[in-house]
Amino acid sequence: MTMADPVLETRELAKRYRRGVWALQGIDLELAAGGITALVGPNAAGKSTLIKTWVGFEKPTRGSVRVAGIDPWKDRSGALAHLGYVPQSPALYDGLSVEDHLDLARQLRPGFDREYARARLAQLDIPAHRGARDLSGGQQAQVALAIALGTRAPILLLDEPLASLDPLARREFLHVLTDAVRGDGATALLSSHIVTDVEQACDRLIVLGVGRVLLNDSVAAAMAAHAISSTEAPNAVASFGAPDGSRIWLVRGEGDRQATLDEVVLGYLASGRSTATPAAAA
Amino acid sequence: MTGALTWARLSYRQQKWELLLVAVGALAAAAAMVWFATTLDAMRAANPDCLAGIGGGFVGAEQEPGAACQGVTSRYFETESLASTLLYLSWAAPFGMGVILGAPLVAREVDGGTAQLAWSLSRSRIGWLLRRIAFIAVFGLALLVVLAVTSELLVAAIFPDRPLGEDFTWYGRRGPLVVARGVGAIAIGVLVGAIIGRVLPAVLASIIVIGVIFAGVSLGLDQWNRTEATIERRNLEAFPPSGDELTALGVAYGIELVDGEFLSYSDAFDRGIEPNYSGVGGKVFESEADIEAGTFIGYDAFLIIPGSRYTQLVARDSAVVVLVGAVALGMAGTVVRRRRPG
Repeated sequence: MTMADPVLETRELAKRYRRGVWALQGIDLELAAGGITALVGPNAAGKSTLIKTWVGFEKPTRGSVRVAGIDPWKDRSGALAHLGYVPQSPALYDGLSVEDHLDLARQLRPGFDREYARARLAQLDIPAHRGARDLSGGQQAQVALAIALGTRAPILLLDEPLASLDPLARREFLHVLTDAVRGDGATALLSSHIVTDVEQACDRLIVLGVGRVLLNDSVAAAMAAHAISSTEAPNAVASFGAPDGSRIWLVRGEGDRQATLDEVVLGYLASGRSTATPAAAA
Repeated sequence: MTGALTWARLSYRQQKWELLLVAVGALAAAAAMVWFATTLDAMRAANPDCLAGIGGGFVGAEQEPGAACQGVTSRYFETESLASTLLYLSWAAPFGMGVILGAPLVAREVDGGTAQLAWSLSRSRIGWLLRRIAFIAVFGLALLVVLAVTSELLVAAIFPDRPLGEDFTWYGRRGPLVVARGVGAIAIGVLVGAIIGRVLPAVLASIIVIGVIFAGVSLGLDQWNRTEATIERRNLEAFPPSGDELTALGVAYGIELVDGEFLSYSDAFDRGIEPNYSGVGGKVFESEADIEAGTFIGYDAFLIIPGSRYTQLVARDSAVVVLVGAVALGMAGTVVRRRRPG
């Protein structure tokens, strides 16, 4: 594998669940090494499913996925060796202490850097002897992140870890994440439906809606390439309601004013909704 | 903390109440067995004149209880009867272990979401499963070993004059078969839990699945036993029964036809034979007219495996249920490898 090769990749990836619902439809993605990419989309957009196909938790119905060039369904062990994963809910063992979790991680993952994880938690004043059930939601998320970071994996997949956290805990979580990723030169994919939280932390943005990629660009380029117009224009991506109740259009190129990242995301989500197929919308 | 201790701690914390429940249940049953065994021994020692040669509910011909002994023998039989009911616990304990310890093992990890953490860290889910099972299996089997030994002691106290190494009395409710069935039941419970992935449904389903599989194994072993069993004519005149009739494993009860073939009574009815009358010497007749004519169809008989083969059958049946457990564990491994973590 060369440096130019993507570390995370999907080709024509589609995933249908048993009840016939398509979670993903023909996803083509390539993520280069380094930086933090935000995977943004509403609930049921397929964010978790996409991440879980890379971890080997979901098997693609069609298409393929690669982690550092490895298909996780053909070589799960090889793919997982490159991955650190933070699940949607912290999923810690109630009866175990923080230190027990680090012990367990060391048992499960060869090369797990317990001291590194411990140091991360110490910086946040999270006591190692405290039971997981006695930690706040933010602390539990930090423990899950510390475990993922302790794997020293070059790729981190974070499945909506911010969803249940208060604003301060979200800020702390993102601070630790950006600090670690930039310090280690790792690649992180962070899924979220809270755009403002990822705006400053992430270098790249993928908008996923109803199982399809609606936008995949750097945050800076996405913001530079879009504007807001108060009237419909030929270069409009989609319209959506503004907070004051008026209707506004996200446009490519020039408009009345610069679009915020939130508006870029909303515009693409609105465009995805208007083109959704009945099966995908089910 | 060493690796093994980490896993033991994880297993204990994850299934603390189940482990406490089975430990208290098994140890209480074992203690009761020991108490009854020593009580029966003590009663016999204290009343040798009344209770010598007694055991298993039969009073020997020479020891018909006189008026002075009636109270003692009555108390003895009451105690022995209560003691015997404990042996149902050693029969049920392996199933309980499968349901209470086996079924929640993977199901709780999937149900609670912790499988996501564990399986994303572990490069081998099979390795994870084996380490996860190890403590529970050792704990459960240690308790079953205690029950196997104490149930053996209890049966020895109930039948003090019998060599239990050559005796099928209370077969499957004492000795190594108790432990072997625990291996099978725990493995099946783990499999059910891994498939269902939710604790309560897995526990309920495992009751049915373990029951059905063990009933199937039991039927299969019965068929196997038929191919190895020998015919023994029933000695209606001898009471109390003795010899093979006491120590053998009864496989079937029926008629040894005059041509030497054994036919169980249900098979006989299926063939249109109606063996309604037994006569002197265990002869079986179809009608009163046949009795008068002296035309009998065969002899009242058992199909048995003699007590001398006890050790051999314990080894064979234990191997079968352990093999069933190994297959279930292999299937559980396949399920864990392929399933979603929750």
